[in-house]
Order: sequence, then C-alpha cells, then structure tokens
Amino acid sequence: MQKHILSLTVNGKEHQLLISPNKTLAQVLREDLGLTGTKQGCQVGDCGSCTVLLDGAPVNSCLVLGLQAEGREVLTIEGIAKGNRLHPLQESFVQAGAIQCGFCSPGMILSAKALLVKNQSPSEAEIRQGLSGNLCRCTGYQKIVEAVMDASHKMNGEVAS
Amino acid sequence: MLLPNFTYLRPNSLAEAVEMLNSFGDTAKLLAGGTDLLVNMKHGKQSPAQLIDLDGLGELKASQTKGEVMELGAGLKAAQLAGGLGGALPQTLALGAGALGSPQVRNRASLGGNLATARPAADMCVPLLALGARVALLGPAGERQVELPEFFLGPGLTSLAASEVLTKALVAKPQLGSGSGYCKLGLRKALEISLANVASWLLLEDDGKTIKEGRVSLGAVAPTPILSLGAAKVLAGAAADEKTFAAAGAAAAADARPIDDHRGSAEYRRDMVAVLTKRCLSQALADARRN
Amino acid sequence: MSAAYDVIGSRAPRKDAPAKATGAAQYLEDLRFKDELAGALLQSPHAHALIKSIDTSKAKALPGVVEVITAEDVPRVKYGVSPARYDEDLFAVNKVRYVGDEIAAVAAEDMATALKAVSLIEIEYEPLPHMLTVEEATAEDAPWIHDEFPGNVCAEVHQEFGDVAAAFQECDLIQEGRFVSKRQDGGFIEPNQCVAVYGQDGMLTLHSSTQVPHYVQRTVSMVTGLPMAKVRVIKPYVGGGFGPKAAASPIDLASSFLAIRTGRPVRMAYTREQVFLFGRARHGFTHEMKIGVKKDGTLVALEHSATLDGGAYSSFGIATVYYSGSLLGGPYKLPNMKYDGRRIYTNKPACGAQRGHGAVIARALFEQQLDIIAEKLGIDQVELRLKNMMETGDVTCNDLAMSSLGMRQCIEAVADGSDWTKKKGTLPKGKGIGMACGFFVSGAGYPIYRSETFHCTVTIKADEDGGGVKVLTAAAEIGQGSDTTMAMIAAEGLGIPYDMVRIESGDTDFGIDLGAYSSRTTMMTGHATKEAAENLKDMILGELAQELGVERTRLDIKRGLVKIAGEPVDIMPLRVKYIKEHRGWETQPEGKELTFNEASRVAYLRRGTLVATGKYKPPVLGGKYKGAAVGTSTAYGCSAQVAEVSVDMETGQITVERITDAHDCGQAINLTSVEAQMEGSVGMGLGEALFEEVKFDSEGRIQNPSLGEYHIPTIVDMPPMSCIVVESDEPNGPFGAKEVGEGAIMPTIPAILNAVRDAIGIAIDETPLSPERIYMALKKAK
Repeated sequence: MQKHILSLTVNGKEHQLLISPNKTLAQVLREDLGLTGTKQGCQVGDCGSCTVLLDGAPVNSCLVLGLQAEGREVLTIEGIAKGNRLHPLQESFVQAGAIQCGFCSPGMILSAKALLVKNQSPSEAEIRQGLSGNLCRCTGYQKIVEAVMDASHKMNGEVAS
Repeated sequence: MLLPNFTYLRPNSLAEAVEMLNSFGDTAKLLAGGTDLLVNMKHGKQSPAQLIDLDGLGELKASQTKGEVMELGAGLKAAQLAGGLGGALPQTLALGAGALGSPQVRNRASLGGNLATARPAADMCVPLLALGARVALLGPAGERQVELPEFFLGPGLTSLAASEVLTKALVAKPQLGSGSGYCKLGLRKALEISLANVASWLLLEDDGKTIKEGRVSLGAVAPTPILSLGAAKVLAGAAADEKTFAAAGAAAAADARPIDDHRGSAEYRRDMVAVLTKRCLSQALADARRN
Repeated sequence: MSAAYDVIGSRAPRKDAPAKATGAAQYLEDLRFKDELAGALLQSPHAHALIKSIDTSKAKALPGVVEVITAEDVPRVKYGVSPARYDEDLFAVNKVRYVGDEIAAVAAEDMATALKAVSLIEIEYEPLPHMLTVEEATAEDAPWIHDEFPGNVCAEVHQEFGDVAAAFQECDLIQEGRFVSKRQDGGFIEPNQCVAVYGQDGMLTLHSSTQVPHYVQRTVSMVTGLPMAKVRVIKPYVGGGFGPKAAASPIDLASSFLAIRTGRPVRMAYTREQVFLFGRARHGFTHEMKIGVKKDGTLVALEHSATLDGGAYSSFGIATVYYSGSLLGGPYKLPNMKYDGRRIYTNKPACGAQRGHGAVIARALFEQQLDIIAEKLGIDQVELRLKNMMETGDVTCNDLAMSSLGMRQCIEAVADGSDWTKKKGTLPKGKGIGMACGFFVSGAGYPIYRSETFHCTVTIKADEDGGGVKVLTAAAEIGQGSDTTMAMIAAEGLGIPYDMVRIESGDTDFGIDLGAYSSRTTMMTGHATKEAAENLKDMILGELAQELGVERTRLDIKRGLVKIAGEPVDIMPLRVKYIKEHRGWETQPEGKELTFNEASRVAYLRRGTLVATGKYKPPVLGGKYKGAAVGTSTAYGCSAQVAEVSVDMETGQITVERITDAHDCGQAINLTSVEAQMEGSVGMGLGEALFEEVKFDSEGRIQNPSLGEYHIPTIVDMPPMSCIVVESDEPNGPFGAKEVGEGAIMPTIPAILNAVRDAIGIAIDETPLSPERIYMALKKAK
C-alpha cells in the first residue's frame, strides 16, 4: 500500500507526515504525532470519545481518513490549554466535578468548545443538543452541563478562542 | 479496528472522479464523509481496492436555485442542510438532516452518501422522497436524472451504476402554501437509527384550508424508503384537519411493509406509522401556514 | 463543608482531573512499550461445539507472527472469580461454550498480521445443541455445558429466615409479582486493554485496565505458575469499570503467556464488539415474589425466588445469586424471608457483577410491589416506606446490621424535594411520579477468596524535607474518585492541607487492596489510609515532643500547624535550624506556630525516613447460615429517589422529566464526588430501565454489540437531577463515611417503574421499558 504525504496543521503547528491511506485521523494524531489525548472508545463513530475539531467543526476522528485532513486545521485536547493555563472549559470541568474516569472528557470538552464558538450563551437544552454525540457512562451528564454553562458565563465578553 | 489496505485517490474535479471510477470498474468506491463506508470497511463488510475521495471537491458542495428547481450538491454535509441553507430549504429536509446521527456525524455525512447508501430509514432520503426529489447521476456518457422511487432499489441498493457519481439532489423550490415535516421515532433522543420515520409534504389551496396535493414517505418499514400512495390519495382535495391526517395515517400504515427485527416488531412499526404520519402532517400544515 | 473537619466534606478539586482535562492522563492505549507485539484472540463462532482439531501451522508460518498458543501450550489451571467456581480454562480444551469463547492467541509484529494469523488458524468443530435460554438449559434432555454441573445449574441458594408460611397466615394481603430483566452491559467508554511485559529477571509486569490489580495478580500467578513475587499488576488511568473489569480477563492471561514465551511486551485490547462478547456484566434475572402485609401496611413476610441467566461461566455469578436474595432483608423491617435462587449456565458470554450486583432487579420488583400494596391498602407510598423502614441499630432477619441508616432523612428529602404530596394523585394521564428506596453494602464483608488477609493496606511516607507526604495504595482509581478521597482522608488524618498530599495507586507493589468493587474503597481503604495518616502524625509528633522536651499529649497538628496545648513553648530554635538548612531560599517558614513542614523535618533528622502503614479488614460479620457471607458489610449506604415521567400515550415513549435523589453516605469525604457518583448511578439506572438490552440471535450471536445499537443514555436522554447528600455519620466508617458508588443505583429502576405505573395505570413487569413495550401494554389494556 503506497504511502502519501499529509500536510496538516495540528494545534497551530504545521506537520508533514508520510502515512498509509488506511490510517484514520485518530490514529495519525495518536501514533504519528504522539497526541494520545484523543481517545478511541468504539472506532465506529458511536461514542464521540475521538472527537477533534476539524476546521472548527467537531468530527469523530475515527471515521476521517488521515489523508482527508490534508491542508486542514485540527484541534485536539492538547491544543486548548496555554502551557499550564487551562482553557476556561477545562477549568470549569475540573471545578464542577464533571470529570470522573475522564475517557470521554477530551471529546466532550472539544464538542463544548465548538458549541460555545457558535453560541456564546447557550441554554441548557442547547448545551445538551451540542453534546449529544458524546457518550459518558460515569457522570449522568449533570455536572458536564453545569461546567459548560459555567464556562460560557466565564467566557462571555472575552474573544472566543 | 483496522481499515483494510486500499489505494487512495483524490480527484481534483468531478470529471476526473468519473474518469477514475470508470477506469477501475467496480473495484473502486467513492468516499465522501465516510460515516457509513469506513464503518463497513472496519467491520470487513466492504473492502474496495481503491477509494476515490470526493470529500474535498468544491464542485459538489454548491447549492443553487435554477428557476423552480433547487440543486443541492451531493457533497453538502448534513450539518449544512440542518441549518436550512438560510431558510431556503424545505423544513422536512432540514429536520431530517438535523436528526441524523450526532453533531459529529452531521459534520461529515454527505447528502450524496446518504442517498447512495440508501438505508431504508435514511434521514435525508425519506424527506427527499416526500419532496418528490430527483437525483443527478454523472457517468462517462454524461448526466442522467432519476426520480427517487426509481433510484432506491433495495436496502443499500440503488440504480447508481458503478461508473457514476451522484452529483446533486434536485428539489422543487418551496412554493407559497406548501409545507413539510419530519418525524423520527427512536429509542433514545439522539444517536439513533429510526424504528420508524415519516416525512410529509403538503400543498394547500389558496384558501389555506384544503389540501391540493400531499405526499407521505415512510422509512424503516420497507426495503427502501417508500411513498405511501394511499396517504396521497386521502390527502388530495381533503380538508386540512386532524380527521384527514388521521385517515392519511391509517392509509400510510396500510402501505407500510415492516418486518420484525431486533429493534422492533412489525406490528409496532405499522402502528407508529399511523401516529407519526398524523403528527408529521400537522407539522407540515403549520409549516405551510407559516409560508 | 462539615464544621468538624478541615478537608473532609469539602469540594476539593480532584487530583487527577487536570490530567484528564488536558489529555495528559495515560490510559492503557496511550502507554508505549519498546518492541511491542500485537496480540489477538481466536474466538469461537459457535455457541456450543466440540473442538475436533486445531491446526495453527499456517498461522505460525505467516511472516511477522512470533507466537501462537492454544490450550496445549499453557498449564491446565482452571480459574474464575471465586475459588468455589473455578470453571474457566484460558483456552478451550476440547469444547467451546459460547460465541466468543477463547481458543487461541497470536502475537505478531503488528495488529493486521495478528488478525490475519488468527484467520489462518484452522479449527474443526462439531457443533452441539446450544441453549440460549434458561428454559432450554434446564430442559430435561438438555446437554450439560459443564460436565461438573448437571442440568446446567451453576449455583443454587435456599435460605429461610423466620417462618414465611406461618407468617403468611397472619397477613391481610399477599401481593404477588413477577419481573423479567435482560442481560446488560457495563458500557464503560474505555474497552479492556492490557500490556504484559516479561523481563530478563523473570518478572512479569502486567499493565491492565482493571478494577482489581490484586485479584488479577493472584489469578495470573495461579494460572501461569509464576510466584506472586514475580508478578506485578499496574493499573494506569482507567476509563470506567462498573463491575465487568473486576476480574482477570482472558486478555490479561493470554498476553501474560505470550509475553513470557516471546520475551517481548504483548498488547491485547478488546474491540467494542469483543467487550460485549466478554460480557461479565449484568445478568438477566427473573424474579417472583409474594409479599405479605398487614392491613395497616406492616411488612410481614417475603417469599422470593430468582432465576439468573448466567452465561457459559460463573465469573462473579456465584455471589450474584446470593446478593439477589440477601439484599432484600433491608432497608425495611422484614421478620420473615424465604429465598430460593438458581443461576443457570447458558451458551452465551458469562455474566458477572455490575453496579449494584444481584440486588438491583430484585429491588426493582420489591419496590414496585410495595407501591401496589400501598395503593391496595389506601396508604401513601411514602408513608408505607416510612412506616416500615429500619432504624440505626436494627438488624435484618438475615443478620445484616444497620450501624447507621439515614433512610428517613432520605425519604423525607426526596418527598420534599419533588413536591410529592402536591403531585401524587393529581397528575394528568400520561404523567406520573413514583418513588423507591434501596440500600447496599459498603464493601463485601469477606474477600472473594477464603483468607484472613487484610482487605487493604496503605503506606504513607513523609518527605524528608518535610513539606509533603506521599500515599501509596494498591487501591483502584477507576474514575470514582478514590485517589482524591484517600488524599483527603490522609490530609485530615495528618492535620495538613490537601495539596500537601501526593498519592500513587493501583500498583500491587504498593500493598494489598482488594480493588474497586462492592463499593468498598471509601470504607475500607479509607480506614487504612486514616490509620496510616494517624500513625505518621504520631511518629512525627513523638519525635517533636522529644525534641521540644514536652509531653506528646500536648501536641497536635491542625491545618498544617503544630498546636501546643498549655504553657507556651519556644519554637524559634527549631525554626532557626530549619532556616539555616535552607539558606538561600526566598520564602522561609514564619508565624508564631511551628509548621508541619518544620515538624516533619525535625522528625526526619532524628529518625531518618518516616513511613507509616495502615490496614483494614472488617470484623467477622454475619450469621452462621450458608451464604451468610454475601450481603454482610460493616455498613450500608441507603437511598431514596423520586422519578417524574411523561409517557407519550401514542408511541409509548417515556421521558424522565426529573429525578430527585437522596443518598446517605455517612459522611461525604468529597461532596462533589458523592454527588457525581449519585448522578452517574441514576444515569446507569435510567439506561437499564429504559433502553439497555443485549440481544442474541438464534445462533447465540450478539445482534447489537455496539454503542450504536446497545443504548446507554445520551446527554439528551438524561433529566436534570436534584441530588441531596444525607449524612448519618456511620460509626464503623472512617470519619463516618460509607458507600455511595453502588447503592445509589438501587432506587432508580423502581422509581421509574412506579412513576410509569402512575402515568399509565399499568405495572410493567419487564425491562427495558422500551416504547414498544409500553405501547403494547397500553394497546392490550384497551
């Protein structure tokens, strides 16, 4: 199987990689770039734990070929904090107790981030709709909703980043 | 789970895509959003030797209105259609696209993919059928257009030839006095494959009280999405009210050919067709009155 | 926050949350080992078959394949969960018992090669009749799935307390009911995975996504023949367990053997489908109950029989069939109880323990029947519970002692919180409100293997420089928050701030801990941690007392400062010494009181490195009857819930509008974590009540082995929840704490059942409450 060159930007950094076409974006991120924050709960787009932002839109990276990210921008969970300064969403998730086992958290936080870019003051229903593709078995989602609501209040007025 | 090996091809134009398809015969498959094809490949159900990636083709993502016809590019994502294309899109299609999968899946799943994979309950197919849509298929010999009832042949089977690319869906531009609706019944409120789904379209007379013409399409109750001819008969010329809608629902239930499977029984699905049809028609009426 | 404590009872942010929030937390799939091999399993496609021959030659010949093993390559040591039922062979020895039963394992340079090799192993099967239901498995001519278990009866329980037949004579009403539930799945988001590493020194280190490093260590040692001292199990971050990860899995064992044979690390992981094939999750239960009461609502007697569809192996099931009966002894006063339970082998994946274990569905039927009894007697459902509930100090008819029981507070809290009195009986058709109660053990009273072992040991080491401490525990943080809880207990026990405590856990090198199951960690590991912390404090203060020349009893540590009772003591000489040692630092200790940092440093200078340990095992508990051990515990958490539902009368769809939940956890160590576990329990209970079911076709193949077709609740399915923490201050618990992790699921299913009955007037006797089930019940009733 012939390998192809893939040029993409991940977390603001440009990369050129040589990859097999049958590698998913999730695998490229995790194996070629060592960004293991993106999780693989099901491999078939049912759980959302592999969610990354592709040009700002949340996608299941297990169902995107690495090569389909050519020339595009990917944001993973590793890309939203600034050094040790957590993104307001990460802070809120930590403070609210919205993280238990943590396996759904990277995907959940990224879906929430995309939601807050589109809608700075979401209602509870809108938060739930926005995160409806991310499964969590630990939390019952309650504190996740609270965290996103809390983060939206914190972020309001600031430039959406 | 691993994807099998394949040769990856990225055409720079639609014409190139058709050429590539033609040169490989039926060993190649078209890839757009991948939300169905890549899952099947991981499960070992499909193993194409070549994947022709249409995902980046701008040509397929255009939407435009030519006269009375809306042309929707096959590369449009469900998420874009769910947004209604600035109010231009008939409600049933926006609702259907918005009910598909999850936000992540909607950002990838394409209109063309949903049509070509032709699942009996497909969230964009059922609405398009109710809208009387056609599809445009581009092959080496040029473009042909097919009405949807002729396009869907069986679960996962369409009249798309191995050398053709589905390029657009063509839908009548919404007229004044028309409205549509979409109702989906699943177990959960998200991430669901329908137990039953219904799309409706109504065109009212000028008085707003009588139905000139109506269509009801049903999902998950036949090998393909189907139109309920019985419901259409009930609706034509009838009063736009609950009584008519209930009668249409009964007719639709009679037209349904559901089976028992692990998700639900035929009896339940048939009964739900009646309920969903009734509700969907009320939805369409409200939509028509708004327009 | 409780006024009595400085750290306990607060909402301290979790120690592990930032790593999880940033993607830095490493789960099994994120760990990398040099020269890793990829391992894959060959699993049976038949539900029941003899193996006539196995030919691995083609697989072995495939380039890139390093090792292929079957039953003949490993010792014939049977294992399982309980030594009373070691009925599993790692690889099938002449027969397979379910679709998914393991036959061989391959290690190869990469996963694609390993999978290809698996497909090249040639097996000749002779299919046998398969039995997929209890009825089929217990039919007269049914073939035996295990030679040792005639009639496919895995286990049988017969218990009677008091005299039920006689008691029924005294009853004014005897309510009969039946309930059927389906096999379910843990639904944890991280599939099982492990990497086995076998070193030159003969040491096997198994990294595993497990709830029970200790049990896995024992099982690996037993089956491989490696001595315990040569087996180490390390649990990294784990993405949920909920019960199915509470035993050694076939991949734990297969990877170990492959690592030993190849000398290279071997990684094995389950795909999501394989997680379903592995099972070890919630049994399918059939319960039948006859409940006898007096006309004033006093509960008198229960006659209860249960049948468990257990799948092909025992796993935890031997305990499950006991829990199904034993945990109906409370939380109401019930003087007479008869229980007959059977667990039946069938040709499906084995069922095991899942949150709430065998008690969940039994509780569901019982609480539903109580509701019907209340209605028949004209008594309010809340009043009926209040009338019958046990109080602190009561003992059940089967010898379970309620050393604390905040049941009344829980019931009152949810009744108030949900506006029960206003809503009950006034809601329109299609809307309903229902309540239920439940309780659960705070850790099983006995380990799964017969032993006098401590259930846990904890070590705390003070930093030599004095500024912090490190807690080492083999306890399993699987997302429930045990690391944070132990750190808080250590901090409180020592009298120091929470952020001076570091914790490492989940490594069998650190000590003994039975693991995260039966809701034991806060109670038991908490005790051991508290003891270790207090021992360390005692050591430090002992040295300090001598250094200062004062009586030890005058000294204490609070909020990181040394408190000296009585006459003032000059601490400056010690401070000067500390500052001299730390010349160059910009920040030095100041204030009138000596800091913990300085005191700990003093102790080190006198004594060397300070290490303290703690340990815990429950006292001998329970009665003398067979099976008495199961259900015993040092304490019981209890809860009450009110569910409010709307039912779409035309489609049968249920929307749970609101849950009001109160749980008595004795004393919340971390308040946020307690609420979080309550909310998660409700989530799981709601899913099990409404959506979840593992389905099989006629060949014994799972029809829905995916998270797309096995439906756990999404965020839009969950209602807002009002969670009220009740604290009854458990005398047997560390700082008064007892469980929350499993008890909180008990009332959920019945609260929903009762709310649905209130909404539609029909008692549904089967889960899941799918729209079709509700619709058909309504249709039939018309």
